[in-house]
Amino acid sequence: MKAFEVVTAKDSRHALALLAEHGSAAKVLAGGTDLLADLKSAHDVPALIVDISRAEDLKGIAITDEGLHIGALVTHTEIMRSAVIRELFPALVDAAHTIGAVQTRNLGTLGGNLVTGVPSMDSGPTLVALEALVAIAGAGGRRRMPLAEFFTGPRRTALKPEELLLEILIPKKNLGKPASFLKFGLRKGQALALVNVAAGLWLKPGKDAFVEPRIALGAVAPTVIRAPQAEAYLEGRAATAEAMAEAGRIAAGEARPISDFRASAGYRRDLIAVLTRRALENACALARAAKERR
Amino acid sequence: MEVTLKLNGEARTASVAPETTLLKLLRESFNLTGAKLGCDVGDCGACTVIVDGKTVNACLMLAAQAEGREVLTIEGLATREGLHPIQKAFEAHASLQCGFCGPGIILSAKALLDETPEPTVQEIRDALAGNLCRCTGYTKMIAAIEEAARELRAERADR
Repeated sequence: MKAFEVVTAKDSRHALALLAEHGSAAKVLAGGTDLLADLKSAHDVPALIVDISRAEDLKGIAITDEGLHIGALVTHTEIMRSAVIRELFPALVDAAHTIGAVQTRNLGTLGGNLVTGVPSMDSGPTLVALEALVAIAGAGGRRRMPLAEFFTGPRRTALKPEELLLEILIPKKNLGKPASFLKFGLRKGQALALVNVAAGLWLKPGKDAFVEPRIALGAVAPTVIRAPQAEAYLEGRAATAEAMAEAGRIAAGEARPISDFRASAGYRRDLIAVLTRRALENACALARAAKERR
Repeated sequence: MEVTLKLNGEARTASVAPETTLLKLLRESFNLTGAKLGCDVGDCGACTVIVDGKTVNACLMLAAQAEGREVLTIEGLATREGLHPIQKAFEAHASLQCGFCGPGIILSAKALLDETPEPTVQEIRDALAGNLCRCTGYTKMIAAIEEAARELRAERADR
């Protein structure tokens, strides 16, 4: 690796002060599983690495009046082990489990995964389907935005050089919303997604009809995207196998997959249709099971 | 910069350049060459070590990030009394051929068994997903880890 300086930030405030001082000459190091791999082959490295891995204020998982807060530094392993997340959002646990391998999940963080802006990231779809917000801090204060808008292009996000992603918030109205995450890769372990899909939905009591169905697709567009036409098709409709299959077909038409050495665009479209249907079915099964428990 | 850590139970200090990885620190400052330099980007797991109870790829951690932490490498696993039960089981089952992946695999197995004393085969496979072995299959490793798990449970029961 080319030479750089390292400063360990005590907390997010310290990190923000360092970023304000050094601007784009600095780069934030969280879990390091992407950044350090990239820096090893980089032509130019930043002059300063701001190591935030010890910033305890970014490591919390908590429920407040606003919803479920997940600190940007929470690791994928911590998500898998969090009692709160396991109870409310098993889909987030499934998504975390498909990222890398144990070693990468122990180091890699949720915020770190999101700020890469990689279209195939496995953390994105479930959070987008659950209408998560991100909280960002910078010199001018704090701002919040929907995660779906945070992603601006392949490997591009709305985060400015002097800003820091603080936390992810799943809004209160979606706490416990039945959701499912599915990924198709070429292997079971350490595989990039050819397609990953998340669905979240409520079922209307007594009617078994969709309320606020949300579908998010990964690896098939420049960013993680929603499938608004498929969602509109399902809204208020009875949760039948046919309706879910049709929603899958509509979602496949909303994506813009590419052909590359891993798969053709046509194959990816077929995968979207199948995975969307299955994710909807899984989420419906969760919704019905939750109803029976009540 | 100065880095002080608890390495295989002993406090150790070294002076390194800031961009030094934990792997380089272990291999070049402390001459602990059990953790191997394989892919150097976190894919192969040959550099797996245990930091504060959790496996990590030492190539993806800066030495500075190990400051004050407890690091266990393969060199710290055996005791005066002999090899660790996982190492013994790997020997008994002839689980390794060239051995390059061995230190990482054995430490991944150790971290698994510390938290999950009675793992299923699927849990063992999941624990090894980040450790690539290109000599052989994983069958004999999985058998060895199952045997070591039985051995460690029996040891615990005796205590």
